[in-house]
Amino acid sequence: MIELGTVAAILEPQRIRGLEMPWNRVMGTTEGPAGAARALGPWHPQEFMAECVETVPEAGGMMTFVFRRCDGAPLAFRAGQYVNVAFPVNGEDQDPVDRSYSLSSSPTEPWTFSITVKCDPTGLVSPWVHENVAPGTVLEMLGPVGAFHLPDADRRARYLLLAAGAGITPIMSMLRTIHSLPGTADVVVLYHGAEAGGFAFHEELAYIASVDSRVKVFYALGDRSKPEGWEWLSGRLTAAMLDDVAPDANGRQVYACGPEGYLNTATELLGKIGVDDTSINMEFFTGDRQTILEYQAEIALAVDIAEEIAEEIADSAEDYYESQPTAFGLYEPGYDAEGPLKATGLPLETVDPDAPTSEAPDGSPDVGPEAATPDASSFDTVGTGSLTLSFMRTGINVRIDPTEHILGPAQRAGVRIGANCKEGMCGSCKIVKLSGEIEMNHQGGIRAREIDAGKFLPCCSTARTDMVIDA
Amino acid sequence: MTASVNAPLNSRGKLASSLPAEQLAEISELFEFRRKGYSLDAPFYTDATIFKIDMEAIFGQHWIFAASIAELPEAGDYVTVDYGPYSLIVLRNDDGGVNVLHNVCRHRGARVLTEPAGSTGNLVCGYHSWTYSPEGNLIHASAPGETKFDKGCFGLKRAHSRVVAGLIFVCIADEPPADFDETAKIFEPYLAPHDLSKTKIAYQQNIVEEGNWKLVMENNRECYHCDGHPELACSLFPTWGLTEGLIPAHLEEVWDRNKEAQSSLEERCRRYGLPYEVVEELDTRIAGIRISRESLDGDGESFSPDGHRLSKKLLGDLPDFRLGRCSMHLQPNSWFHFQSDHVITFGVFPINEHQSLVRTTWLVADDAEEGVDYDLEKLTYTWKQTNLQDKAFVELCQTGAGSPAYEPGPYMKSEYQVEAFINWYVQRVQEHLA
Repeated sequence: MIELGTVAAILEPQRIRGLEMPWNRVMGTTEGPAGAARALGPWHPQEFMAECVETVPEAGGMMTFVFRRCDGAPLAFRAGQYVNVAFPVNGEDQDPVDRSYSLSSSPTEPWTFSITVKCDPTGLVSPWVHENVAPGTVLEMLGPVGAFHLPDADRRARYLLLAAGAGITPIMSMLRTIHSLPGTADVVVLYHGAEAGGFAFHEELAYIASVDSRVKVFYALGDRSKPEGWEWLSGRLTAAMLDDVAPDANGRQVYACGPEGYLNTATELLGKIGVDDTSINMEFFTGDRQTILEYQAEIALAVDIAEEIAEEIADSAEDYYESQPTAFGLYEPGYDAEGPLKATGLPLETVDPDAPTSEAPDGSPDVGPEAATPDASSFDTVGTGSLTLSFMRTGINVRIDPTEHILGPAQRAGVRIGANCKEGMCGSCKIVKLSGEIEMNHQGGIRAREIDAGKFLPCCSTARTDMVIDA
Repeated sequence: MTASVNAPLNSRGKLASSLPAEQLAEISELFEFRRKGYSLDAPFYTDATIFKIDMEAIFGQHWIFAASIAELPEAGDYVTVDYGPYSLIVLRNDDGGVNVLHNVCRHRGARVLTEPAGSTGNLVCGYHSWTYSPEGNLIHASAPGETKFDKGCFGLKRAHSRVVAGLIFVCIADEPPADFDETAKIFEPYLAPHDLSKTKIAYQQNIVEEGNWKLVMENNRECYHCDGHPELACSLFPTWGLTEGLIPAHLEEVWDRNKEAQSSLEERCRRYGLPYEVVEELDTRIAGIRISRESLDGDGESFSPDGHRLSKKLLGDLPDFRLGRCSMHLQPNSWFHFQSDHVITFGVFPINEHQSLVRTTWLVADDAEEGVDYDLEKLTYTWKQTNLQDKAFVELCQTGAGSPAYEPGPYMKSEYQVEAFINWYVQRVQEHLA
């Protein structure tokens, strides 16, 4: 029991509850030592040159490339974001080919940064990268880009990180970041791979899981390739699997990255186990046209911002750095009215910018001012049966069999009807029909003059025709 | 019981001892011959003298709910609460604790603070500017020419207070009943995980019901009338208050769903170490309590039409939205619903024998943003509707109690908590009158 009246409050040091990025407190600081963290800016995308300083082979045909900026500045980004890299695939004298890759390193180690590239032998860029990028290689980059990232501060910090295949790269950045910071985070990683030996970073993942009590890592193989002795999960993502690894998933923020099919399945399953859609954050590593366009828009925006900033710096570098924002939320790339855009590492040249867009072909008529009476034809229709009951106040159509009492299906569809005896005696479910014919077998719960006035008891009535009901 | 006398509420002696012997005998008889299992005789709901006895014996002697800590987030924040003739100031002090002071100036009795809530440094009476510290000490009273005026003798009267799991309870009695600490030990572990100190008020509703405070409480202690709450019935199982064997045929399906939801909730509670067992000591202790964690229909998260969360920010360090409702009834004047996403507190503040203020407060996580994490209309809809329906029910009964044709009727099995409340009330008053 807390007895606040008796004990003087003791000033406690502010415990880090949940997750807090090291730069977060700088937001409220304009002077003093903490302000030095602003040197880690700028907090928006820039175009810069970076030199490869190390390559690390990973499982699953992947390779990590470690870079540092040629100007010596740290790279400020948020765990989960990506960079857009210009690769001179066809030689230095030809136009480079742009590709986006998630950063796999942690922004808490900002002096170098990594991307991890899976080699697709049929691809244009990734085999070239594996073969040609080596310590000493200098590449032109744009970044950071992307709205898929950990928050700067999160006092709850309960995460479910879902990764499939190369989708582990931004997840790895998040995990490394959380592992590097103090706090009371609670992280579950579920990592799907195609084959037992193909889980990139598995040694580091095992290490983090073994030393960091906040982190649990689960591996799962698809249906095809479960070898003898495989002790982890197998099969595609299912609700049961999610429930197994995180029975409290509905209280977590979900960050998921992988191919489109995997993410679509994940969205559906997460909804089923009760995760609110606003708690789901996704990054597509392959995607449909719409996705590709969204990522293009995100990168285009980043280019605009980078150019604008570059001009400001050119005008007066000193003024510019003095005016570094104290609120880092200034740049949140890739948002539109619908919410955050997704980010990807897609081959951008596959999109024909002149192709007609597929937006808004639906013919839903804009009727302007609200009509005086609701139109039942616009209502959702639920249930099965040969007759339709339109509930005008609830705004729903319920299909029903002529043998069913009306009350049950109506209530199940969400129509609010109070009911007590359900035997036609108490009359508490009494409602008004606007049109249609019913057959009622009541036991005194309604008076003849009420029936004449169009009222009936849905608990003991069946429908003979389609009906319109005032409920 | 024929007429009531406007007997003075004498602070130096019990009201009872100042009543004419005949009237006291009449009232004592009403308590003594109360028919068990039946609603009370009309005067309990309509008579001004019995109301005064209630104020003295129940509200003047017991721990009563005043507010939650979320209503006084900062030092200097206060609320004023009235229980019948009593007016109290509940003030957050500089140490983070709570001071409770009688809102009666020691000069000539004026109300010191006249607003229902606010923020203040010292407390200044608006009449002659007598000024009190937040502890209630009289620190200033202009006294030109006074020679024998000792400020030390005229501090605001203090009442006792306890803050348990963020709920503020007050006791006006000189010597509060001791068993409240035991009751607090029962409910603290249920409520603490919701961490009220990290919540804020999303909305507060004050309704004056034209009904005696006991009718308000009686109505709250049963769900026999819940057919009259269609919005609430979406998430609250209408089998509430029933047990195996009492389930009518039309509720069997609901009962099965309820049982399944309950066992899944209990599994979650065990996983997170949250207590859920029913503790029911409504009339077997002075600080009567019922507490449990029970499942909700639909998604099982909150009081919404589909049982889905109404605020997107979890309270405290709770790990999961599907935690049903932790509900508590406390005698004599409060009940609470603690969900994973929001908390609703209900306090009953008697005004007179036929009017009661019912204060409902919706609390969400203090970092939840209106319009982003919760929609205020949706958050408050179910209980706003339910409160209005309950107000109408209470008023129906109050009207009935005023009719010469009224006679007490039987509480049904599903209304056993109403009987427990009345039994508690009768016992407590009788003990006081003895």
